[in-house]
Amino acid sequence: MTARVEASAPHVPAPAAQVVHRPPADGLAGLGAMTRFVVRHNRVRLVVWFVVIVGLFAYVGDYYKGLFTTQRALDDFAALSDTPGIRALTGLAAAPATLGGAVWTKIWMTCALSLALGVVFLVTRNGRADEELGRTELLRSRMLGQHAYAVAAWLVIAALCVLTGLFAALSSAGLGLDPAGAGTTGSWVVGASLAGVGLMALGVGAVAGQVASTSRGANALGSIVIVGFYVLRMIGDLGNGALTWASPIGWGQQMAPWGANRWWPLALLVGLAAALLLAAWTLEARRDHGAGLMPERSGRAGAPARYATPLGLALRLQRAPISGWSIAIVLSALLFGSVVDQMNSLLADAGTDTTAILRGTGVDALLALLAGLIGLLGAVFALQSVTQLRADEASGIVEPQLAGALSRTRWVLQRLLIPAVGSAVLLGVGGWLMGAGYGATIGDSSQGLVMAGAALAYWPASVVLVGLAVLLLGYLPRVAIPVTWGVVAALWFVMLIGDALHLPAWVLDVLPFSATPGLPAEPMAWTPLVVMTVVAVGLVGAGLARFRQRDVQPG
Amino acid sequence: MSSTEMAVEIEGLHKRFGHVHALRGLDLRVPAGQVTGFLGPNGAGKTTTIRILLGLLRSDGGRVTMLGGDPWTDAVRLHRDLAYVPGDVTLWPNLTGGEAIDILARLSGPLDPGRKQTMLDRFELDPTKKARAYSKGNRQKVALVAALASRAPLLLLDEPTSGLDPIMEAAFTESIREVKAEGRSVLLSSHIFTEVEKLADRVTIIREGATVEAGTMAELRHLTRTQVTAVLDGGVDALAAMGGVHDLTSAGEHVTFAVDDDHLPAVLAEIARLNPRSLVANPPSLEELFLRHYGDELAAVNNGSRE
Repeated sequence: MTARVEASAPHVPAPAAQVVHRPPADGLAGLGAMTRFVVRHNRVRLVVWFVVIVGLFAYVGDYYKGLFTTQRALDDFAALSDTPGIRALTGLAAAPATLGGAVWTKIWMTCALSLALGVVFLVTRNGRADEELGRTELLRSRMLGQHAYAVAAWLVIAALCVLTGLFAALSSAGLGLDPAGAGTTGSWVVGASLAGVGLMALGVGAVAGQVASTSRGANALGSIVIVGFYVLRMIGDLGNGALTWASPIGWGQQMAPWGANRWWPLALLVGLAAALLLAAWTLEARRDHGAGLMPERSGRAGAPARYATPLGLALRLQRAPISGWSIAIVLSALLFGSVVDQMNSLLADAGTDTTAILRGTGVDALLALLAGLIGLLGAVFALQSVTQLRADEASGIVEPQLAGALSRTRWVLQRLLIPAVGSAVLLGVGGWLMGAGYGATIGDSSQGLVMAGAALAYWPASVVLVGLAVLLLGYLPRVAIPVTWGVVAALWFVMLIGDALHLPAWVLDVLPFSATPGLPAEPMAWTPLVVMTVVAVGLVGAGLARFRQRDVQPG
Repeated sequence: MSSTEMAVEIEGLHKRFGHVHALRGLDLRVPAGQVTGFLGPNGAGKTTTIRILLGLLRSDGGRVTMLGGDPWTDAVRLHRDLAYVPGDVTLWPNLTGGEAIDILARLSGPLDPGRKQTMLDRFELDPTKKARAYSKGNRQKVALVAALASRAPLLLLDEPTSGLDPIMEAAFTESIREVKAEGRSVLLSSHIFTEVEKLADRVTIIREGATVEAGTMAELRHLTRTQVTAVLDGGVDALAAMGGVHDLTSAGEHVTFAVDDDHLPAVLAEIARLNPRSLVANPPSLEELFLRHYGDELAAVNNGSRE
């Protein structure tokens, strides 16, 4: 074709229409087209994150508006909220005895963390993941600037953060969460703080996508940084507050809506976001396409025999997440253990009303809460491991294995050993470390075993969720992974705001985490643990039976 | 195994994906100790058939026997005697090629390190590189080395040479000849006619999920026409009038036509009578055979009605 066109060209005067408008050939060439593409490619995710976060905030706001009709009620709630547990988990509002403050205490941290993690995942999906899969290479072969795809993704995700903040502010002002006569400043500050934390996470995700060479690595790195910021502010909020200022999530807290109503920490958040994005831009300009900062090394020419078993291979392939989660649980446990005693003294001043929020009294209630957090970490570890089953089927990598002398049953059951045994080990070790750390401060060496048991009580809850993931693998493979995480997120939200959902008490009681006895504050109850374990076995059996009967479905 | 035994025998195979009827009564036979070519355009159902043989998909009808067993219910037992090369190889990005070969080979039987080394040398593959750094051709080599390093009695190869350079294709041809010499059976799905012509004893051609032609290469050639070009002083009209002569064109002394194989002796006798100064007779290539079955699609392409 080309040859023919060239041959005939001298005879035909070039018509004016042939002067094609070409985009400028700089680093941002094609930005407009890529922005539309990013919106189209992520439209469902963008809407889901926006609706969940704004909806959560507005729902709690609406519910509290109806619940707290008198200042007396707000004062009581503020007093109940002023516990080390609340300070650790969500932070305490700057003005806890206002309607806005009550809403802030309940839901701001959840919204901010959800937005931050969602933003990290979105940045990876539109950056490192596409680069890893080779799609970006195809795009870059066209008239597309080096930074155009990244910047398009940043613009769209930044717009998500700003819109989320804007609509949180609008819903807050619309619901009338501001104190009478004080204007709507607090509403605008709370919206801006959410948007600011989201923008900061955008910077974190962008840099993580440049440093790591795989999408899993980028997601892990970005999430660890965000969770690290959360833990920093947790220690800060429990202590003198200095470490809160070391955490960008803490900056969002310190905008103090309805309290000091500070605007300037927003500048810190936006400034950090700009600096991180600039760093990501610079890194992208310098590195090879497809590469991270870590060079590829040669490896072994052969594999040990154990890699030929699903368990041995999975242990090798999941080495990074297994060690990462182990480190996370050990560090959390040590941290929890060391601060329990410190909280203990604070708790002594908090009065007896704490029992209404924390199950049980005093330090036992706190220990039960922290054991629950370790339980949650163990469950998330188990789930990220079990969802790899479907991920391996979707990528097609399981097919050469199943083409060998390996049954589907053996493949699934051996792989399930990692979440099942792994979560038990992590729970036991995490609980023991936390108890031993706390026991050392009070001279009680039995605390290690007590807390190991308390954390291990969450094992049946973890395996129920694993069973659910296997059931979904069998029956709904194409949506198994998002539905699994969606169910976990839903459980988490229900636990968090269940009182606001008007759900019957029995529904809340049968959820895996609420059904688990909150040791050591509550007495041990074997029935729910046995029932959950049996249910888990049943779910795995049903899912596996279906998986054995259906087609292997890549995609 | 006797030579009449079938390594794979498929009769009237059906497979539906929702509303899509992917296989509509497909037949396929792979005699033990032979190489069977498996031809068809993209989307004809070759990979679906192989995935049913692997027990990854469940058939919706028909009879499938592989190595005397049912590929769905006896999958694990059968896979001990099976080596598979997919057309699009997915590997573990953070494992090396050598590790992947060992894992795949061990899943089918004991690993023979000497054989693995021979194949690594033959295919010039560096086993210490991480899979994510491999090109498509090198990923293909990983699957080939893993399959060829085994002593499996049956090889299922789904477009095994896609992405390989001509030298590596030659190495592949050599390897398959060795496999055949050892009396093992091969199902070779391919787009490359010359490769199938070189290696295959039998060929099955499928279209839209059904078998349209199957037989030995000789049988298939017999079904079609020989292309003849001759330089003659005259008598073209007599040739054109003969039974079994098609598409005759002449330009000066050169005459070109196709002739049905059963009319070939009579036509050649007539040409001999006409004192030819030059004569070239080509047996039909597999490509012509294949295109004949897709003639209407080809016509559509030439008319520009298909993108």
